[in-house]
This record gives sequence, structure tokens and C-alpha cells, in this order.
Amino acid sequence: MKRSWITGICAAWLLAGLVVFTGKASAQSNPPPPAGSSKDDACLACHGKPGMETKLPSGETLYLTIDPGSFHSSVHGAKGYTCTQCHTNITSYPHPALTAKDRRDVTLQLNQACAQCHKDVFDSQTNDAHTEARQAGNLQAAVCTDCHGAHTVTPPNQPRSRIPQTCAQCHSQIFEKYKSSVHGSALFGQGNPDVPSCVDCHNAHNIQGPSNTQFRLFSPQICARCHANKELMNKYGINTNVFNSYVTDFHGTTVEMFQAVAPGQETNKPVCIDCHGVHDIVAVTDATSPVIKQNLLVTCQKCHPGASPNFPSAWLSHYEPSPTHYPVVYYVNLFYKYFIPGVLGFMALFVVTDAGHRIAKRGKEKHS
Amino acid sequence: MSDERKIFRFPIAYRVEHWWLVISFTTLGITGLVQKFAQAGVSKAIIGVLGGIEGTRTIHHIAAIALMTEVVYHLGAVIYRLYVRHYRPSMLPTLYDLRAAFQTLLFNIGIVKNRPQEGRYNFENKLEYFAVVWGTIIMVITGFMMWNPLATTRFLPGQFIPAAKAAHGGEALLAVLSIIIWHLYNVLVRHFNKSMFNGYVSEELMNEEHPLELADIKAGASQRPVLPQRIARRKQIFFPLYGVVAAGMLFGIYKFVNLEQTAITTVPPAENVVIFAPYTPTPLPTLPPSPTPEPTQAGSTAQASGPSTWEGGIGAIFEQKCSGCHGASTQMNGLNLSSYQSALTGGQSGPGIVPGNSDGSEIMKIQSAGNHPGQLTQQEIDLIKTWIQAGAIEK
Repeated sequence: MKRSWITGICAAWLLAGLVVFTGKASAQSNPPPPAGSSKDDACLACHGKPGMETKLPSGETLYLTIDPGSFHSSVHGAKGYTCTQCHTNITSYPHPALTAKDRRDVTLQLNQACAQCHKDVFDSQTNDAHTEARQAGNLQAAVCTDCHGAHTVTPPNQPRSRIPQTCAQCHSQIFEKYKSSVHGSALFGQGNPDVPSCVDCHNAHNIQGPSNTQFRLFSPQICARCHANKELMNKYGINTNVFNSYVTDFHGTTVEMFQAVAPGQETNKPVCIDCHGVHDIVAVTDATSPVIKQNLLVTCQKCHPGASPNFPSAWLSHYEPSPTHYPVVYYVNLFYKYFIPGVLGFMALFVVTDAGHRIAKRGKEKHS
Repeated sequence: MSDERKIFRFPIAYRVEHWWLVISFTTLGITGLVQKFAQAGVSKAIIGVLGGIEGTRTIHHIAAIALMTEVVYHLGAVIYRLYVRHYRPSMLPTLYDLRAAFQTLLFNIGIVKNRPQEGRYNFENKLEYFAVVWGTIIMVITGFMMWNPLATTRFLPGQFIPAAKAAHGGEALLAVLSIIIWHLYNVLVRHFNKSMFNGYVSEELMNEEHPLELADIKAGASQRPVLPQRIARRKQIFFPLYGVVAAGMLFGIYKFVNLEQTAITTVPPAENVVIFAPYTPTPLPTLPPSPTPEPTQAGSTAQASGPSTWEGGIGAIFEQKCSGCHGASTQMNGLNLSSYQSALTGGQSGPGIVPGNSDGSEIMKIQSAGNHPGQLTQQEIDLIKTWIQAGAIEK
């Protein structure tokens, strides 16, 4: 009786410790807003007034007025986060002088504040296409607030069609192509939840683009995430063998081997997008599809300039050879399916009987 | 081995050819099968060691050229031996070979007492040889088709290319496995046959596998008698003709390798689009401002007469109106109004609250001047002033 009482105390102690520990961990990664409300009234007393602005050394105007309504309805404002939690340099009034030369500089400086709470996402962007572009000197390359907004952050994927529109701010030409593609038109037309938006292929953070060799080599597997998914493709009556049939054919085997053995090395063998189209990809039922029979020769000639009309059918077009599709391939495979075991069986018959004969003979010699 | 007497079987030219074939065949087998079974882990490991898939293919192609060159030589060697030297066509299959194979089988299972009596090349050797001939023909043809798909599809339907790949892979598997099962068993397992190493075999082995040839050798009748002048004359005919044929075949190999450039060497052009194309004009970084909402009346929760203590409501005014800048976390200008004690202490400009002396309290000085960010309402200022004058009681 006494013993179970002690056990109970120990368990309670451990549980309490666990609660304290986990509570601390989440607080560290994500500082809570201060208790109470309307902490920003002090700031908004000035910054809520229309027309607040200042001139930057570049001659640009920095607008300093905030719309309290949209801030308070943003994810941060609604949870009670205050101005100074991001604007950490504002520790006194009058405020310290701005060190930024221009508006972009202001954004880039303030962007560091996001890392305070969103450290994991922030740190995941070291190989991000935008980070790399910025490090290469292109300061226009997007930072957090370019996509999410600064004072007006709301869930970026609600509705889902908002994602491509966000990217379109800088990638308008790609967006125009995407919008007309089989994926984009389904997203904008029917609000289809299955088609990919930009981030499904390129990632939301740690964004990868085609100038990255690894991304190119990996891209068939990105397509395969959906196109090899039976459950998903059955809804649309799309064949799921496309990835496997790609990998077993000439181009796919090479790309797959590069990906497995030398992912950083460039190969000129095509991946899905090289034939099917990239952002303007259309269904194979579309007469403009570059991979349907009447358009395929032109597509092949992009890489095989000397291709003749017979050439495109050297590619199995994702078909499994059968008596009706690619019969020559089918019958060659069928021939070897029986020829190999036939010949080897014939040979094995001699080898096995010969070995048996010799073992028996040796046994006899030993006995005699 | 009881019988130490040795019979000379293969001159150096035969042995060089054999090892030439071994090296090219083994290289082709390894570098080819890892491509056929590219998904297997062991294939990926081998391809990695060989310098990736392109390196593996380059090695495969070099070995293919070596094998084709061996074919050119072998053809000359065979014709030379048969035509110039008048050797017996001992490799030609005959009906007897069928009977010999059948008899061997019966002998192995103990139905007949004797092995068949065979000559220089027994049925096992002939099967082996013609398997290599058949296999090489298939491999060269299908290899050509895959190496030159543009040229091939000018004459043949496109599907012959994947069919060639299927045949090439099937034939490769057959060749490698039959070498292991048939050849390696016959020359390494059942006897260790050294004839391809030093040229000699034991008389015992000759007696078992090539008894007729052994009898010929013993009778001094292994070679047909030929006149040296006749040989010299046939050489004069053979060498120029073979020279032309060999040159033609070598040119064929050269064309085999260089016939076409199948594909461009650069990465395919994927999409013609400007990546960074922002919408213009660029939207402003913040939304157009809207009027500030009326500040909420702090302290409105307190009684009509006004709070008389810090904890009774004065603290709440500071918490609500001032803690954004002067809270525990920010403490702008050193001022922290989150607790009674720190409010009394004040910030850089002096004590925030001096009990009983509202004019001497820094908070009242700043607030009375107006225009402070986060300005208190007059009602709030009055409440605080009354509280300070009454002694700024905490509880």
C-alpha cells in the first residue's frame, strides 16, 4: 500500500517535469505574445496616422503608416504579437536613425527578425534559389516578406490558388504559362485540390529551380509523387506506369543512374518536362501536346536533329510491349524468355549428369 | 595426375586470341549487365566505381571495339589455317557431334560404358565456339542499332531499336550464364585445363576428351602434309586479299563508332521564358493607410471614483497602454512599467513615480507634455495623478 503511494508521487513528479520541459521547449522556439491586448496602441498613435513617411538616402520614400485593421487581422496581429517583437531595434523614442540606404535595404534588414521565431524555416533556406540569387548579388530575389507580406501575413495557401499568384508577383511570365496548363487551369478553373501549385514541385521554402542539376535529375521523382500514385491517378484515369516505364527506357535509365550515382553531374538525357513541357504542360488528349504521335517527331528533333519519321517509335511511349503495341519488342522478349532457360537447361543437363558420373566414379574408386 | 606426359594443344597465337576475348567479353559482360539491371544496388555500386553511367558506357564501347577487332583478326586466322595451311576444318559441326552428345549423356547416366570418340574439337567445344559466333553476330548487329539509332530508323521501323536493346540484353545474359555453366565447368571444374595458360594438356585429358586427335598425334598424322612452295603461293594470294577485307572491316568498325551523332551534347532547351518578370508597377510595401481607430478607454473597468491602488487598476492602465514599449521585454529607455517596484524606479531620465509628488514623477512630466507615442487620455492622466498624490499605494 505504502509502496504504490510512493510510486504515485514519483509518477506525478515525472509528469510535472515533462510538462515543464515541453512547455519550455515550445516557448524557446516561438516566444509568446505579451499578455493583455492593444500593446501596439503606443506605436499606432503615430504609425496609425495617414501620411507618415521619411526619405531614404536613395531618395526613395519609406512609408511608415500601418493599417491597424489589416495588422490586427493578420496571423501575428490576431495573436497579439506586438510591433517591437519584430522591430527589435526600436528600443527608445526618438527611434534610432535608419541605417538602410533604400527601401530594399529596409526589407532585407528587417527580414532577419523572422528568424527569431521561425528559425527552422529560415535556416532551411541556405540552398534556396532565392538565397543563392541574393548571394550572387540580385537583391530583388525574394525574402520572407516578399511572399508573405510584412504587416498583413495571412495563411499563404488559403485559398490554394493564392500560391501561384504570390509567385506571379515576380514570375509573371511563368505564371501565365502555368495558368493555361493542365495543372493550372484545373486549379483556377475547378479549384482542383490534387493538381500541383508552384510549391508542390519547387518547395515553399528551400526553393529549387532548373538551374540546379540535382533538381533536374530529381524532377521525374517529383512528377512520380502524383503520377505513380494509383489512388490519385485512378480519379482521372491516368496511367501510373509512366515513371517505371520511363526508368526502364533509354533516357530514364541514364537519368536515374546519374541521380543515384552522381547527383551533382549534368546529363543531357531528357527528364519528363523536356518532352511534356514545363509550366505550360498539357494533357496528352490535347492536340497541342508535344508528346502525341503527330507532334512527337518535332519534340524528338529538339535533341535528335537528324531524326527521321521512323525514329520516334524507338521510344516506347511509356507502353509495355505487347502483341499490339511494339510487337517486335514483345516477341524478342518472349523468344529470350524461353531461349535462355532452354539453352542453359540443355547445358545444365550435361553438367549435372557429368558431375554426378564423376562423383559416383570417385566414390567407387575409394571403396575398391 | 598419374600421367605426366603432356600434349601441345594451343600455340601462342591461339592463347593470345583467347585472352583477348576473355578480357573484352568480361568487360562487356560486367559493364553491360549493370546497365541491364540498373536498378539493382550492386549495379549502382559498380557503376559508381566505374565513374558513373557515362564512364561505364565508354568502357563498354571500348571493349566492344576490342571484341570487333578480335573478330577481324579471327576471321583472318581461320581462313589462313584452312586455306593457306590446309588444316582440317576440325571445328565444323557434323552429324556425328549430335550422336556424340547423345552418347555422352548416356555415358554420364551409366547406360553406355564408353565416351564417344571425338577429335581435336569435341561437341562441347563446337557448341561453345558457335555459341560465341552466334552471340557475337547478334551483339554486333543489335549493338550497331543502339549505337546508331538515327541511321537504323532510316531503314527500319523505330521499334527495332528497343527490340535490339531487348535482344542485346537477353543475349548478354545467355552468354554470361552459359560461359559460367558450360565453359567454366568444363575447363576449370571437372578438370583444371591449363592449355590456355601454357598450351599443354595432359595425355590423360586428351585421351578422355580428344582420343582421335591423340591417336593422330601419336601416329604423326595430326597435320596434313603440305608442300612449302604451295604454302608460299597461297600466302601470296591470301595476304593481299585479307589485307583488303581487314581494311574494309576496320573501316566498318570506324563507321560503326562514328556514323552519327545521335543527340545534341547540351542539355535540352526546356522552356523559353524570362524567369524574373515582376508585375509593374510594383505594389507599395504597405497597404494604403486607413484612419486609426479610436483608442480604447483604459481604466474604464475601474470604479467611477477611480482606482486607488496599483493592483486595484492603476497597474492595468500601464499594462494596457505602455507595456508595448515599456514592458518587461522591451523596456524602452530603461523604463519598465510592468511592476510596481520598477515603475517607481523609473528609467534613464529618473524615478517614474514619486509617491505624493505627481509633479516630480517623470511619468507625469512626459505625459502632461502631450504627444508621447502612446499618449494617455486626460481621464487616465487624472486618475494616475490622483493616485500619486494619495501616496501611490501598491495594494
